Amino acid sequence: MPHQVCMVSDFFYPNVGGVEEHIFNLSQCLLRRGHKVIIVTHSYNDRVGVRYMTNGLKVYYLPIRVFYNQCVLPTMICSLPIIRYIFIREQITIVHGHSAFSALAHEAMLIGHLMNLRCVFTDHSLFGFADTSAVITNRFLQISLFSCNHCICVSHTGKENTVLRARVESNRVSVIPNAVDTKAFSPDPRNRSEDYVTIVIVGRLVYRKGVDLMAQIIKEFGPKYPNVKFIVCGDGPKRWLLDEVRERCGLQDRVELLGALEHSQIRNVLTRGHIFLNTSLTEAYCMAIVEAASCGLQVVSTRVGGIPEVLPPQLIYLTEPDVPSLVEGLEKAMEDLARGCAVDPFECHRQVSSLYNWNDVSQRTEVVYDIVTKDESKPLGEQLQCYINGGVLPFMLVVALCHLILKTLDWLVPSKTIDIAKNFDQKTFKVQQVPKKLS
Amino acid sequence: MGRSKGPGRSTQPKQKWRKILYGNREYPDNYTDSSFLQEMRKNVHIYHVSFHEAFLGAGRVTNALCIVVLFCVVFAYLYKQSLDPYTVFVYNCAGTAMGYLWYRCQTIFEDGYWNYFLRDMRMVVIFLAVGFALSPILKTLTETISTDTIYAMTVFMMFIHLVFKDYGVSAGIVSSSLSFNAAIFGSICLASRLASSFHAFVLLSLSVEAFVLLPVLMVKLGQSVTLLVLIISVTITALWSLSSSMTVFFILFICFVNVVCPFWFLKWQVYKENIYGPWDEATVEDADNICLE
Repeated sequence: MPHQVCMVSDFFYPNVGGVEEHIFNLSQCLLRRGHKVIIVTHSYNDRVGVRYMTNGLKVYYLPIRVFYNQCVLPTMICSLPIIRYIFIREQITIVHGHSAFSALAHEAMLIGHLMNLRCVFTDHSLFGFADTSAVITNRFLQISLFSCNHCICVSHTGKENTVLRARVESNRVSVIPNAVDTKAFSPDPRNRSEDYVTIVIVGRLVYRKGVDLMAQIIKEFGPKYPNVKFIVCGDGPKRWLLDEVRERCGLQDRVELLGALEHSQIRNVLTRGHIFLNTSLTEAYCMAIVEAASCGLQVVSTRVGGIPEVLPPQLIYLTEPDVPSLVEGLEKAMEDLARGCAVDPFECHRQVSSLYNWNDVSQRTEVVYDIVTKDESKPLGEQLQCYINGGVLPFMLVVALCHLILKTLDWLVPSKTIDIAKNFDQKTFKVQQVPKKLS
Repeated sequence: MGRSKGPGRSTQPKQKWRKILYGNREYPDNYTDSSFLQEMRKNVHIYHVSFHEAFLGAGRVTNALCIVVLFCVVFAYLYKQSLDPYTVFVYNCAGTAMGYLWYRCQTIFEDGYWNYFLRDMRMVVIFLAVGFALSPILKTLTETISTDTIYAMTVFMMFIHLVFKDYGVSAGIVSSSLSFNAAIFGSICLASRLASSFHAFVLLSLSVEAFVLLPVLMVKLGQSVTLLVLIISVTITALWSLSSSMTVFFILFICFVNVVCPFWFLKWQVYKENIYGPWDEATVEDADNICLE
């Protein structure tokens, strides 16, 4: 049964990152499987309005200002009319929000819920419970997930975290991992240096990615092993630390800092390396290590969050998040490499491609869509009761206000006066395109 | 692909479920294993405070409050001219000298007692000279402001002093400098209401002793119930001679701060619940100074 899905998130192209990648690839696969998919995000600079991407993927860039950290200000009511208009115009049946940090996704899910659509939410991140900010954010997530039929997490640790944070029933949470486009990440051992062992690091240079650990490891490894080269790809507020270590230890020739690169260029960097190092301090899934393993690198990574679940033990060296343990892991990987008992790059690639692909992810997401379609819609009274039971009475008033505004809009702008958008047709599109190019 | 995958399907599990993302093909995606949340731990680093600790902790607040009240009582007597400023100054000096000697006896001297003593004496002389010379200015500084505003301002400043004071707990709002400055500003406000500039000088030197030197001495003395009872009884006696209704109010407030609050704190300790698990961010040592080694 084809679904009409609307993906909503604050994070989408031209922004780059794991969530953006996930939304794009999932949408492409769902489109190919015959579903209708549109994406709603906020505007990026002059990128406002409707755009079409590969295979007729329709993207609505809503004219909403960014408030903080690429997120819109959650006013709950200001963007309600336009989101309702899009849902009716595109005949949406399922609203799929992405990322707990995206205010737009939460707003759209609430509106969808009040319009009796089914809502699915994918959580891409882990959150602690220790500080005040975590307590507040977790409360908001709990409130938001009252209006959600099913949750998707990217790892089992992520599921445990979401169940604890938002107090949703565990059978309403599915675990569907991310995938990697393994065809774009194929190994090429000819790119590797013969004289050096190259250690590659890819990621934003922020505290959460463990830049402090990276710096200490470079400092320790540089003088100890003259045949080791580091390639660091990425940029961020902690880049100065690596710059400084390189300078002070006189490792300019053996530590390469490439800065931020396009995602398409990452593969060319990865294939130059023998070993991939990941020093993250927290991670729900970690796409980087899967991409690296797909390129045939030996992966050394900290054992945090969902990372131990991602790769089979023969493809990864897991260590504790401290310097001695990481050094030990790296030395073990180098020893295996020298003795020639490291997994062959092409075998590595074959294994990863058999484990993860987007087609599989989209099929499993489809199953979730089938389930929520069968869910019965809750009457308004029951919906509002949730907020009272959850102990958030003020928010119930907000929801009630949203409901009233929706009712008023039904009267002011009845759905029968809204034009239904024509679906993008791949076949006719090609027929029209070819003669144009010829002339 | 014909895989029995996805939530809701009832299939016969063949292999044991493992916490991995690349297997478990026989299980639906929303399957929850019995090992779910097994790695979660609660209240790992929890510390239960005893009543004695809670009582002494609240005692620090009481202490600071008593000092503020005593300071205000002295002001009131100076204001009513029923206390001679010379007497206050002499007692002040004597008390400070005793406190100083005791405090210095606790310190270990590296380069001789006399060096320390001379340095401290120089500080005292400088402070007294500058304070005495500037007291006419300090007295007239806020003279044009109406008395009601001055009292309201002093109450507000003393409140800030008490709120931001360092009670030995590393909370975000603690700011010793703000606390100290508020107290000194409050005393300058009060000084302008006194009869002469010598009165103002005495009050200001008293405020420095009460809000700067005394807390340092108190830390050195440590916490004890005897000391707490002593300072409370002195405060009550002093306040009683001034106003009986205020004394009753003060006693009730002290009871609230030093008995009711610790009791509540202990009672609600059972609600402490910290959750730890694999999702927690690992803590690493900051390597910002790595290059300086």
